[in-house]
Amino acid sequence: MATLAADFRLALRSFELSLALDVERTVALVGPSGAGKSSVLRVIAGLARPEAGRVDLGGEVWVDVERRVFLSPEERRVGLVFQEYALFPHLSVRQNVAYGGKGRADELLERFGISHLAATRPGELSGGERQRVALARALAREPGVLLLDEPLAALDAHTKAAVRVELEEFLRGLDLPTLIVTHDYEDAVALADTVGVLVEGNLRQLGSPAELVARPADPFVASFTGANLLRGHAERLEDGLTSVRLESGEVVYSTDPARGRVGVVVYPWDVVVGRAQVEDGSALNLLGGEIASVTQIGNRVRVRVGPLTAEVTAASAEKLELVRGGTAFVSFKATGTRLVPLS
Amino acid sequence: MKRLLGALVLAAALAAGASAHPARSSELTVFAASSLTNAFPKIDRSARFSFAGSNALAAQIKLGAPADVFASANMALPASLNRSRLCSKPVVFARNAIVLIVPRSNPAKISTVHDLRKRGVKLVIAAPGVPVGAYTVHVLKALKLTSVLSHVVSRENDVREVLAKVALNEADAGFVYATDARTVPRKVRALKVPARAQPRIRYGICVVAASSQKPAAQAFVKRVLGRAGQRILVSYGFLPRLAQRR
Amino acid sequence: MRRALLAWLSFGAATVALAFLALPVVAIFTRVPPGRLVRLLSSGVVTDALVVSAKTTLVAEALILLFGTPLAYLLATRRFPGRVVLVTLVELPLVLPPAVAGIGLLAAFGRSGLLGSTLDAFGLEVTFTQTAVVLAIALVASPLFVRTAIAAFEAVDPDLVAASRTLGAGPSRTFFRVALPLAGGGLVAGAALAFARALGEFGATIMFAGSLRGVTQTLPLAIYQEFSVDFDSALAMGALLVVVSVALLLSLKLILSWQPSRRTSVSLFARSS
Repeated sequence: MATLAADFRLALRSFELSLALDVERTVALVGPSGAGKSSVLRVIAGLARPEAGRVDLGGEVWVDVERRVFLSPEERRVGLVFQEYALFPHLSVRQNVAYGGKGRADELLERFGISHLAATRPGELSGGERQRVALARALAREPGVLLLDEPLAALDAHTKAAVRVELEEFLRGLDLPTLIVTHDYEDAVALADTVGVLVEGNLRQLGSPAELVARPADPFVASFTGANLLRGHAERLEDGLTSVRLESGEVVYSTDPARGRVGVVVYPWDVVVGRAQVEDGSALNLLGGEIASVTQIGNRVRVRVGPLTAEVTAASAEKLELVRGGTAFVSFKATGTRLVPLS
Repeated sequence: MKRLLGALVLAAALAAGASAHPARSSELTVFAASSLTNAFPKIDRSARFSFAGSNALAAQIKLGAPADVFASANMALPASLNRSRLCSKPVVFARNAIVLIVPRSNPAKISTVHDLRKRGVKLVIAAPGVPVGAYTVHVLKALKLTSVLSHVVSRENDVREVLAKVALNEADAGFVYATDARTVPRKVRALKVPARAQPRIRYGICVVAASSQKPAAQAFVKRVLGRAGQRILVSYGFLPRLAQRR
Repeated sequence: MRRALLAWLSFGAATVALAFLALPVVAIFTRVPPGRLVRLLSSGVVTDALVVSAKTTLVAEALILLFGTPLAYLLATRRFPGRVVLVTLVELPLVLPPAVAGIGLLAAFGRSGLLGSTLDAFGLEVTFTQTAVVLAIALVASPLFVRTAIAAFEAVDPDLVAASRTLGAGPSRTFFRVALPLAGGGLVAGAALAFARALGEFGATIMFAGSLRGVTQTLPLAIYQEFSVDFDSALAMGALLVVVSVALLLSLKLILSWQPSRRTSVSLFARSS
């Protein structure tokens, strides 16, 4: 199976997109909207021309600005699934799928479980069904790389969860380099083995989800991956710890070595919540404050106490009687406190 | 809001009322054949003129157009109106002659009427209902040149349109009045039509029955028929009216 | 009280407007008894004019569609320097008085015109021919089609065009299989508008092509000539044109309503940006 190698520069409206990326299996690019994520797909698909760089699939050169090579989209073996699916409204489902290649149409309809919809028009399909048609259509062309633009964005919250599971299974079974673009970190983590964080046209970090959580390269990455981010001034201590005086005045400790202005990264699920100020226990860091909000997500609850968000089980939240307006104390370990240098 | 509405209604009523009567009711309206375009305004500078093919003007008068005087390039049209009691008995006020015109450059090298038989000649004449159109056919019949009609490429509704097409060098030849040819001497050359073939062209003038300014209309007719008016017409190439036979 | 007054006034204004629009049409049909109308329609002048009108309008329409469609597609989908100028040029005949269009045609294709000597060299004379009628009609009617077509093509979702390309279809296959079908409704509407305009064209035709029965005299030209000769004959032709126009409008509405719901919506008066 070939690897897609993309290394290019593209000028966008307010910044320049500069990217070097190898896609071997499934890679997801996350980032805030406007970071240039869709443009990456457009360059790879041939819908945009980069100023400099090269894109090739296993030796098949698609773009090489220096050597003046530029293959038009129809000459590249790409399968692009658009955010709103871009299904041809005047063609039936079968005609849509057959557009890229008649031979595999029936087989793909079967594979995606939409054979019964073969004669329907896209306008009559549900969101999930449309996505399957879009995928089938992209694959009918037997592409060398699959590009998905915000694959779950066009679905309602209810369908999204189910489709995400299906899509993940499907991608796992697919033997094709796949590049997914999404603004939702959780979707990225669910669908891909490698995640890249793209901010204002630059790839801040590329790694496994675990790496991104454990060692965020910078504050963007940290906040993007759902962490708490506090700011403060760090100083090395004699015993090997680092103390950080937060902007709010309190002092916390971390095992990460750092000096000067830092961002303090703490993950919600590493934070323990209590009603009493108990300094017993191994957790070095203790902060107190007013409970600003309590949000239930399934069987978990996110509680905002002062500047930190903690995540606890619903049962615990009930047991502790965590309600808005009350006071609580949050504690977390120095080993669970990451420090990222701030410019 | 109510006042604005009231003002609007009043303005609309005034506008409607104003347009029901011609703005310049003291001005005379004269419908005259196109060939009189240059001469008539000299006879009366204050009148309003509408120049067109005589048949079009007659049709408009029949449909109630607000004319005071009708001056036609023939007698038949005003006579027909008179029979329908739409105007007074017509009087001859001028005569004219038909000429053959060619563009200055004379691309088809036409020197006489008979040259019109040449192959590929593009001839433009007036439509049958227009007086000069009928006169043209009379000329061709008299010269036994009706075959030339197959060379006609367009039949215009107005003698000035025939003139224009030849003057612009779009047509090779055309038949107009001698008076028309004189208006654009640098653009066309006029070739005489043999006298024996000339039709009896008599311009007729009458006062429209529905005119609200009969005295002024009659004064205009008198001026046209009088010495000064006749002198002006002759200066533009028209032939003076013959003395009325009683 | 004020609301009732306003309601009555607007109702009255609407009635006046409707009457104004309907009266000329009604008058055409009521002045001449239908029996005589039909007999008049079979007269030589009328049938000749009908044939000339039919031939020239159909040919002009075909030319407009043939050349206008790719032009509209290009102007709708490409952005290039000078595009605005080109779009303005295409729309120009729309605001030009037909007489001016006629003079322009004479100045360009007439014997002493810009291309006059060139055409002459090839032995081609355009004025006073049926070709001249076709040219005059096409010039005047084309902006109606092109404008609407540009709007129709612009309304096609660019993602659909992009999708077609990524699925292996080149630019021309994409045009025929995606852009054209999706813009179809708008194109038909534009074609109908252009056809109606072409059928009724007068000023440019009479100047550039002249008026000769059986050759260049279209229905409007025949009406103009007959009006001062046989008014009823003119009325009959007027009635014919009204019937044709109404039939055109109705069939257009029918065609547009048969269209399955597309993701494009076209207004007949959409601006082409």
